[in-house]
Amino acid sequence: MAKITWKQADGSAIEAEVADGTSLMEAAVANSVPGVIGECGGCLSCATCHVYVDETWLDKIGLADEFEDAMLDVAEAERREASRLSCQITASPALDGLVVHVPEV
Amino acid sequence: MTVWQPTDDGFADLTSHDSFIDGAPHNTFARLRREAPLVWTDWTDGEGFWSVTRHADILELNRNFKVMSSARGIRMEDQTYEEYLARRTFQETDPPEHMQTRIKVAKAFSKPVIAQFEDQIRDLCVDILDQALSDEEFDATKAIARQLPMRMLGRILGTPDEDLEWLVEKGDALIANTDPDFTEHVLDKMDTDEFRLLPFNSPAGAELYVYARDLMARKQAAGDTSGVLNLILQPGPDGSVISETEFRNFFCLLVAAGNDTTRYSIAAGIQAMCHQPELLDTLRSDDIWQTAADEIIRWASPAMYFRRTALDDLEMHGQTIRKGDKVLLWFVSGNRDDEAFDDPFRVNLARHPNRHLAFGQGGPHVCLGMWLARLEVRVLFEELVRRVKSIEPAGPHKFLRSNFVGGLKSLPVRVSLN
Ligand code: HEM
Ligand code: FES
Repeated sequence: MAKITWKQADGSAIEAEVADGTSLMEAAVANSVPGVIGECGGCLSCATCHVYVDETWLDKIGLADEFEDAMLDVAEAERREASRLSCQITASPALDGLVVHVPEV
Repeated sequence: MTVWQPTDDGFADLTSHDSFIDGAPHNTFARLRREAPLVWTDWTDGEGFWSVTRHADILELNRNFKVMSSARGIRMEDQTYEEYLARRTFQETDPPEHMQTRIKVAKAFSKPVIAQFEDQIRDLCVDILDQALSDEEFDATKAIARQLPMRMLGRILGTPDEDLEWLVEKGDALIANTDPDFTEHVLDKMDTDEFRLLPFNSPAGAELYVYARDLMARKQAAGDTSGVLNLILQPGPDGSVISETEFRNFFCLLVAAGNDTTRYSIAAGIQAMCHQPELLDTLRSDDIWQTAADEIIRWASPAMYFRRTALDDLEMHGQTIRKGDKVLLWFVSGNRDDEAFDDPFRVNLARHPNRHLAFGQGGPHVCLGMWLARLEVRVLFEELVRRVKSIEPAGPHKFLRSNFVGGLKSLPVRVSLN
């Protein structure tokens, strides 16, 4: 289990306990987090699950691989250093307390 | 005039294109969702297949691309390996191979890139509507819905304007290959195998082959490297370049996929307005446009199914899909599943969230053109409701003869203007 927090640009936030192995995109959809859509079901074909990882977590989460990196160019919101496609991040105890920011579009 | 209702007896033969000439057999899909969500159908003209009809099951199988392969064909009809190789596009590949091409073309069809075309789409819509609405009565499919998608695709590809009408015609013949109104070479009534190796088994494919080659040659000679077609000729991250056959098939795919799906979504939206006149008023409020296009596209579901082939045995609902079996994901049925949608047989333009499957959501092949399609539908209806006070049926409509593409090939309407 990991407690994950999704923060919106307007300051509001949604928190959820996410089971190990569940992707952050699936968890966001299950918890109706606005702005995380996940149209391709996590198959790396849509970039509608784009989030910014909170700076304090960047080292632990790591960077996008080659395919994810290419797909990040397709996302609607501006791409930043902390950009990740959240279907490629899976919950584990190491991510307990993680904060991600949902891009404003 | 009442809302369109399915008329099938609940036991329609899904292998027969004739089962779809009064619209999708939704009573049959409703029964299957209830009683037999995973059902086997024998077929006289080919191998039988499984049908998956529930929203949740379609999502589950569509994302499981390791077992549910697109690389053995994506329609009900069987293909030999030779036919598959000759006709395939990246739509008939699986990840990770699929990804190589998808990332090359994804950027050109991304939401922000497509958004830049809004003004051009609006100009095209205004032209089309000015022309169509100069008559009080007209066929809305032919005069409105048929016009926009190919003209828009032409803008994106960089084809000359004077070619657009020709492309619309070839696109029709290419994909509507089971309806005698669109092609002389009706697929399930064909006595020749001359066209076996062509995209969509259609001679229009041969003409489009030649057209695509000449277009690229002209653009290259002129030093013009803009546009989607050039984009996919660039080497991918692994340095590979797509083959000439694959490239030409991709061109045909864009013409076919971008043409009648969007057209039939527009037609279905106009028909819905004829039957639920309150929709016109709803569309006059500004905040509806965030959700309206997706609901119109859910309602239309023009790409009714896509096929996968099992690469391994898979258990579902107490049955075993065997390795090698064909599996049809009936998106059109998932979009009427009352487990996923409140009141699915009503058009609710404010529906949110709207997790419809019309674009093949939930899998790696989710529609490449979805942002373009949504934008076209939104802008077309924005401009339409600005001009039209009321719209009503002016005669019987006709559906396409196809169990693959669902839509109104003719929709006579009468309008009064603001
Ligand atoms: C309302 C209009 C549209 C609908 C309902 C629609 C529907 C679909 C569906 C269901 C798929 C998934 C196929 C599968 O699972 O195998 C798909 C894929 C595709 N669509 Fe669309 N489509 C529409 C418009 C467009 C447009 C405008 C274009 C291009 C200009 C386009 C290009 C494609 C391509 C290239 C694919 C294959 C993607 C891949 O395999 O990765 N579509 N579409
Ligand atoms: S859900 Fe489509 S890329 Fe993440």
